Amino acid sequence: MTGGAATIRPKPRAITVAGSAALCLMVVGLYMSVTAPKEETQGEAARLLFVHVPSVITAYIALGTGLVAAAWYLIRRSPTADLVSAAAIEVGVLLTAMTLLTGMIWGRFVWGVWWDWGDARMVSTAVLFFFYLGYLALRRAIVDARVRALRCAVLGIVGFVQVPIVHYSVLWFRTLHQGPSIIRPDLADSTMDAAFVAPLGAALAAFIAALAYLLLVRVRIARLEAAVARSATTSQPVGASVGPPQLGGRDGR
Amino acid sequence: MNRRHLLVPAGALLAIVVGFLVWGGLTENVVYYLTPSEAVDQRADQEPGYRFRLGGLVEADWMEGTDEGVRFMVGDGAVSIPVEHAGAVPQLFRPGIGVVVEGAWDGDLFRSDTLLINHDEQYRAVDGEGTYQVPTGQP
Repeated sequence: MTGGAATIRPKPRAITVAGSAALCLMVVGLYMSVTAPKEETQGEAARLLFVHVPSVITAYIALGTGLVAAAWYLIRRSPTADLVSAAAIEVGVLLTAMTLLTGMIWGRFVWGVWWDWGDARMVSTAVLFFFYLGYLALRRAIVDARVRALRCAVLGIVGFVQVPIVHYSVLWFRTLHQGPSIIRPDLADSTMDAAFVAPLGAALAAFIAALAYLLLVRVRIARLEAAVARSATTSQPVGASVGPPQLGGRDGR
Repeated sequence: MNRRHLLVPAGALLAIVVGFLVWGGLTENVVYYLTPSEAVDQRADQEPGYRFRLGGLVEADWMEGTDEGVRFMVGDGAVSIPVEHAGAVPQLFRPGIGVVVEGAWDGDLFRSDTLLINHDEQYRAVDGEGTYQVPTGQP
């Protein structure tokens, strides 16, 4: 790469496609969520299902992508795998935060409390959130790109053990949080009326498209940043034309 | 990968395990609530005034509003315990719904100051309003 500035590649078409798909699916999902029937026990509050559950499922997918990309980095030492892993985990942290927030609002409406430290599902989700916040802090704490990539890859893999803990916490422990309605040990006996499954599916599709969009954008930003950082270290410094003082002066006398 | 690189993940894993243990210790045990049967069984081993959470289904008989809150029976199919709750009553409170109450024994009565709804994972569609009025203490 010559010339100071990084070459700016045109915006990939995949970003536009994922963004438009997310937008369209979100409109459909929102419409279906609002027009879904009322739930017998929870009433209108049950509509939070269409935000809370897609948030956590896409958070799992994002953190899973972080895990796979981290493993890919350890095998191939590809800088792109490191960037993808970091981007996925960053989006995963955002989605976990959304899960906690919507869960707290839902809990206040239905259970009567915002939070309960005795509940295994809530506590394990909070631990997951703070663990991955720690991952993001670690990325900013290490200057050397290769050391950072290596350590973060290991952390990104280790952290994922919490995902099954969070998911199974409601089956392993007695909790205030209800058990799974669809992803149950016996998948055949779903406890959710079909009238709720359809809007949930639409909302999930919207969240997955949004996840793809955010991931693509975040990876692109990271690559551009890396390119700028590379060009900054390889291009000529400003004072390069000024030579050191030489014996006898510049004309050699 | 040298040994130094294992420090971060090993520390992280340790932090997760220690975190769960500390949490388990802070909340006495990882059993979030006792069922009415367990509560009756363990009553002899508890010191007077021992606070715990009791979880079960609200039974319709004996249910009435009081000045401070509501009184009702909490059962698990085998054993039912009378509960006197003083404090806020969540909107979803009604006969047949799961609740978790926090408090202590007072004779054969369970006195609670925290009432949480512990609904199940059923999602049933309704067309109508289907709201239940919590009985009030006022005559």
